[in-house]
Amino acid sequence: MKTLIIETIDPKRIGELATAALALGAESDILAIGTGDIPGQFNKAFQTDEKVAVNLVPSIAQLIRDEGYELILLSATTVGSEIAGATAACVGAALISEVIAIGDDHTVIRPLYGGKAVGRYKITQFPVVLTIRRKYFEPAVLTGVTASIPLLSAEGPGIRLIADRPQQSEGVPLEDAAVIVSGGRGVGSLENFSLLKEMADCLGGAVGASRGAVDEGWASPTQQVGQTGSIVAPSVYVAVGISGASQHLAGIANAKCVVAINKDEEANIFNRARFGLVCDYKAIVPVLTEVLREER
Amino acid sequence: MHIVVLAKVVPDYEVPARDFELQQFRAHSRYTRMLGLYDENAIETGVQLKEKYNAKLSILSYGKEDDIPILRKAVAMGGDSLILVSGISDDPYVIASNLKMAIASLGEIDLVLAGQQSADMDRGVVPGILAQMLEYPFIPRIRKIEIMGEDWKVEQQHESGSRELAFSGKGVLSITSIPENVPRIPAVRAIFAAKKKPVEKLSGISGIAMNIDEISVEVPKMESICEFLPVTDMRETAKILLSRLREERYL
Amino acid sequence: MGRIPYWNISHGWIIDLTSIPIMMFFIYGLYRHWVRIRQGKVRIRSDWRNVPGKIGPVFVHALFFRGILGVRIYKKIYTGIAHGLLFWGMVLLFIGTLLTFLNVLFGIPVFSGGFNRWFMSFTLDAAGLGALAGLIFLYLRRLFPPKRLTEPVERRGFVPVVSLLGLILLSGFVIHALRISQTRPDQGAFIGNWLAGFFNMGASGLIWHRDLWWIHGLAALGFIGYLPFSPMVHIFLAPVNAALADPMPGTKMGVIDFSTFDDETQEIPTLGTARLSDFTRKRLLDFDTCLWCGRCHEVCPAAQTGKPLSPKGVITALAETLNSGDIRDNTLIEKIGAEAIFCCTTCAACMEACPVCINQPKSILKFRQHLVMERSEIPELMGKANNSLEQRQHPFFGAGSGSRDWRKGLQIPLFQAGQTEYLLWIGCAVTYEERAQKIARDMVRILESAGLSYGILEEARCTGDPAKQMGNEFLFNEIAQKNIEEFTEQGINKIITLCPHCYNSFTRHYKLLGAAYEVIPHSVLIDSLIADGRLQIAAGDQSVCYHDPCYLGRRNNIIDAPRRVIRAVGRLMEMPRHGRDSFCCGGGGGNYWAEETGVRINQTRAQEALGVGSDRIAVACPFCLLMLTDGCKKYTDVQKAFDIAELVADQLIQKGKT
Repeated sequence: MKTLIIETIDPKRIGELATAALALGAESDILAIGTGDIPGQFNKAFQTDEKVAVNLVPSIAQLIRDEGYELILLSATTVGSEIAGATAACVGAALISEVIAIGDDHTVIRPLYGGKAVGRYKITQFPVVLTIRRKYFEPAVLTGVTASIPLLSAEGPGIRLIADRPQQSEGVPLEDAAVIVSGGRGVGSLENFSLLKEMADCLGGAVGASRGAVDEGWASPTQQVGQTGSIVAPSVYVAVGISGASQHLAGIANAKCVVAINKDEEANIFNRARFGLVCDYKAIVPVLTEVLREER
Repeated sequence: MHIVVLAKVVPDYEVPARDFELQQFRAHSRYTRMLGLYDENAIETGVQLKEKYNAKLSILSYGKEDDIPILRKAVAMGGDSLILVSGISDDPYVIASNLKMAIASLGEIDLVLAGQQSADMDRGVVPGILAQMLEYPFIPRIRKIEIMGEDWKVEQQHESGSRELAFSGKGVLSITSIPENVPRIPAVRAIFAAKKKPVEKLSGISGIAMNIDEISVEVPKMESICEFLPVTDMRETAKILLSRLREERYL
Repeated sequence: MGRIPYWNISHGWIIDLTSIPIMMFFIYGLYRHWVRIRQGKVRIRSDWRNVPGKIGPVFVHALFFRGILGVRIYKKIYTGIAHGLLFWGMVLLFIGTLLTFLNVLFGIPVFSGGFNRWFMSFTLDAAGLGALAGLIFLYLRRLFPPKRLTEPVERRGFVPVVSLLGLILLSGFVIHALRISQTRPDQGAFIGNWLAGFFNMGASGLIWHRDLWWIHGLAALGFIGYLPFSPMVHIFLAPVNAALADPMPGTKMGVIDFSTFDDETQEIPTLGTARLSDFTRKRLLDFDTCLWCGRCHEVCPAAQTGKPLSPKGVITALAETLNSGDIRDNTLIEKIGAEAIFCCTTCAACMEACPVCINQPKSILKFRQHLVMERSEIPELMGKANNSLEQRQHPFFGAGSGSRDWRKGLQIPLFQAGQTEYLLWIGCAVTYEERAQKIARDMVRILESAGLSYGILEEARCTGDPAKQMGNEFLFNEIAQKNIEEFTEQGINKIITLCPHCYNSFTRHYKLLGAAYEVIPHSVLIDSLIADGRLQIAAGDQSVCYHDPCYLGRRNNIIDAPRRVIRAVGRLMEMPRHGRDSFCCGGGGGNYWAEETGVRINQTRAQEALGVGSDRIAVACPFCLLMLTDGCKKYTDVQKAFDIAELVADQLIQKGKT
């Protein structure tokens, strides 16, 4: 199956898509969006430095037709969303978004109803476009680089980038953190979030938040973990004052070990957690921080 | 100026996980139906644009006639008219073709707004497909929209922050939620007025579905044995937790 | 021989004559108040309460006890006594002056015999002394005011009028003394006789007497004429307001009839209020009557925890606007502040404290209705609760429980039309909040033990009351109508409620929508079951302090029944603020869903409760339970707050069952 990965130049994101491709039994070419070396060994590597992915849709559609790609993989991110729907419609491809697992015989699995249900779908039509949810596939190790072929550009809608405002996040970015200490509505205030930050710092980790805490203004949207925030896959995820609504759990489905701290013993988060502490977080989090400092 | 907002009526998205059940691969019919969460953000955005630029606002939905009373809320929030295309398909291409057909009947429009993703299927793909069918650009995850000279200027949310884009002509935009587009409570007058506003009902077309077989939809069992640690002596608890995490190689 | 009127005074008829234009001026002053109040809407009294003791619109009992005797003033005992002395002293002196007039005009023999001695001399002397003592006390208060008189605003205009009255009283005594010293002691006039000893002035005394007499007379007439233009007008407005204010406790919001909205031809009336002209005359009378005394401010849970709301602030702002004549000013809400308007927990403590029967929460809630139903403005969390109520018929968005979780694993009988006696109404809070679900389970155990015929509805419901409290009368109506339809279909007549908000809604609002049921709050039911011997409770020795829920105690007068229940399970202890003076838990008025600024109300009350030092804190309302449970978390890890049903079920002796 001729496969094309379309992704920004990010080894983790590309690696995850490569793993997904492999699970479908395919080796892939790549269209890299951005400047710089393309990591990994690909048969063909195309490249474009277009800043606004929407503008690439006609070019990508042309590429798919020219090269005869049958499987097109994107990550379920803003860039992926900009490309997936329009491209699929342009080339008449089937489209399945937010894939979290690949089964036998060209079946893919994706969540519905805020993660409360999962659906299994069999691909019977090609070409097909899949968007893959972040952190659900182990990124393949990419060795070396592949020389790139410039993408032939077809006329796009000409959307201009006026300004880019990356969020200044201090410390470890959520995506890469091995440890995340995350707060929900139960944290209670902006000031109290600093308790979580102190603990996270001691563990070399990042601070996340549930949608409730972000809505309250205690954390920024880029810290939001959940179905509509970031999907994270840390080794340890400490959920502080988070009830464990399914939309949040969707964001930590691949966290290896969840430690839940909540005053309410019936909170749903305990159904997902490996270790549970039923207490006021203010009693335990500073103590953990203290013990960690002592052990250094 | 004429703005179209897409709205979908879905089953209650806040049913707690342990209460959630399926009926023939879809959410049980006993759950209350309501406008999707992001759809309401999109409607609110549309109403704000209508107020700012004196635009006409049409609410467009593909679904069942039974859902018209729920869709009237969108009209009460500020929509001028409601168009319902009757149909029951879940296929994104079929939905998009039906929406395209309805939009064609509206004449000249300037912008199409939609929620970032629906609260039942969670796909977020229909607006992109629709955009391609209409030959408009599709830009997802929009926070703010304004007119800048001859162009539209939009602010888009992405994984590491936000950015500003500009384009001329028409477009399909999907809306993400921000404090400024929290959906308003319709004024009582508007609720009554909405009852009198026209509802255009269009019969759906069959469209061409994509060839994907739905094999199953299930509620996954959440099996996780949680080990509750004692919380009488906090220092002890902290030490136990850390040592367990290290033992099991998580830290 | 008694006193001679106009002794030493020539041309005394001038005073009499002057009194005529003064009286006209006085009546004009009162008329101006009427002109202001008349600008309000005339209320179409569809909810006219015909009760015994009511003559036309006048509540006779309230007029007498609250308006004339002014019993509420005595809640602050020193001020009360001082005011009583001043008021009743002046009343007696007024009667005395009136009798003097009658004596002059018709020769009625008031100045002779025992009547002269005991009334005209002794009593009036005592009255004058009392009035003076009261006046001095109140005057000093104005100089060294307690906070409630100055926060958030202070009323101007007292010092001049009080000083005038003081002048009148003092001059009156001096004239009295001078006359006595020039003639002879009056039998009974113990003060006059004693004072006369200081005024042995010979002939100049006559001149002093005469001059002072004119000063006194003109000052008195001046006082009367000026009265309706000064804060003293409350002498008239207060009894009038008391006479027209329904003494039934609670805010009596009434219901709105939305059926007129569907009618194309009628213009839709303004919902809620935005301008003074939107208020009824009774409300405008409220604003005009307000004394600015600040007692409401002192008991308001919002005002006392640093919120922007003060009931005194609201009413005085409205009074000032009324005074300035600007009834079409629609920036009232901005002046008062939308945030303040949503802070009100509708506890009605302000109404309870008000000595002149003002209904403050009604005005505040009217603004709230306007904000929500006309302007679509509502604080975010309340908006979410409102949305949830609209979409899924309960306000507890984000609740982790499904609607049947509270009865998982239990066999609870459903209400069978024609067979079941009582509907056990669970209510939204008990259904969806995990901590509160136990109330229902324990109540079921109690009902089973007592062998009562009861059943629940299959579908979880809400009365719609949270919508009403948040100002969304429309949503409340929708929900209530659905419930009423269901109840009629099922033939439901008797309802047991677990929540005082449900109780209040059924008895007050559903009644106005045409549906009358026999509603029993669970604490009252448990009390009667114990009294009838249908429940056996093991005696306990734990101490329990009781927090009166606002909607049960103050607003519906159910104070004793829960206490009897508590005495059956343990030892009752009282909180400092209890019974009708109970302090709100902070959960009412939709404020369960609120982002609180300032000190938290529930923590303040929890602190008060914990300060009593009892083993447990008992409540009879799920919102109080949730708020106090949360409030106590700041001070202790031990679970302290329990519902009455939980306490009773714990000590229930099951007859032959396990």
